[in-house]
Amino acid sequence: MATTTAAITLTSTDLLTDALSLSATNTLYKAGTTIGLDQTTGMAKAYLTATTVVDIFPQLIEGSIAFENKSSWVYICNKSEDETEYITVKICENVIGKLYAGDFLWMPWSMRESENANNHHGDITVAPSVATGMWLEWTCINEGTEYPTENLATA
Amino acid sequence: MAITSTFNLISAAGDLVTDALTLSTTNNLTQAGNSTAIAQTTGLARTNFTNNPIQSKIVYRSNDATTNGANKVYLKNISTTATEYFTVFIDQEEMGRLYAGDWAFFPWSATDGTEETFIVTIANTWAAADTWDFDGITTTAANSTVADIAQQIDNQNFPNWTTAISSAAVTFTARVSGAAGVVTGATAITGDTVTTAGDGTAAITSGAVGTRSESDIIVIPSVVTTMDLEHALFYQ
Repeated sequence: MATTTAAITLTSTDLLTDALSLSATNTLYKAGTTIGLDQTTGMAKAYLTATTVVDIFPQLIEGSIAFENKSSWVYICNKSEDETEYITVKICENVIGKLYAGDFLWMPWSMRESENANNHHGDITVAPSVATGMWLEWTCINEGTEYPTENLATA
Repeated sequence: MAITSTFNLISAAGDLVTDALTLSTTNNLTQAGNSTAIAQTTGLARTNFTNNPIQSKIVYRSNDATTNGANKVYLKNISTTATEYFTVFIDQEEMGRLYAGDWAFFPWSATDGTEETFIVTIANTWAAADTWDFDGITTTAANSTVADIAQQIDNQNFPNWTTAISSAAVTFTARVSGAAGVVTGATAITGDTVTTAGDGTAAITSGAVGTRSESDIIVIPSVVTTMDLEHALFYQ
């Protein structure tokens, strides 16, 4: 069985009177089981040079529900070193938050259709704050991805 | 001051993929657009969900943090039963499910709505012992001076509103954003009552309807039996 573990540590010696030392580790399982997740999109690294909103998992077929509510985990990291640069992360049309330089997120993903019922299936998008170039990394580890079939249509 | 977050994603060679996966990221949590450390937190909380029928809870309201701040949210499902999960929503959009032992850490823009607000102006002839009721609080006039009565109102601790005073006018602002339906127009609210021996008035001289926030973090358990969620918010 594939075993992938995700761990976080949050520490601070001076945020509170007492030291903060929070740790969590979990093994990534298929939904409702103890069978390890065994598929991934692979780690993507991209240099985005426009502030355009980008769908970072375009291979997800819009309109497909094959993997809706299955177990999927998303990692996104803003590799910029300029503290003023950020990316805005959305799920469907709804802003989750902004990742500033060095910030990362680790979140579950239901691939659930947008509440607006426009077949976006929970698209995760990012939009850089500047067009001067920003490095990003992202990956998805999941139960599977329904890939588009070959498109033989000609223009 | 500093909060350090470290993320590790590990899988042995030949396990998830042929090569070993060893991803490690470390970052200090800083405010939006600068290097000043995040300095506020709700603390690590633990919330029990035991409801039949199943009910959602708002774990964090947008009012809890600065809109577009570099806020961070930590959530963990404490359950040890593999089939039990929490579904996490950002407002109306489903983000994902946290199964037993799963945790998440993500930025949060805390996009706030607007709070309902209105101004009540104490006027005309009031007498000692006249009253104004609102939000479950009764203010009883100590004398007939309208500015004093307004000051008495401002001194109250309203459960759902904050107040500010200017002469005989008291400005009310809802503690939480949303269209609660208390303010119904530019000069009207519901739920207030004046009882006066004279012709005293508590006129609504200004009002604005609120709008709901669009990024409250809402969590729904999968079962009616007990489930615990651990959570923390680090915010500007």
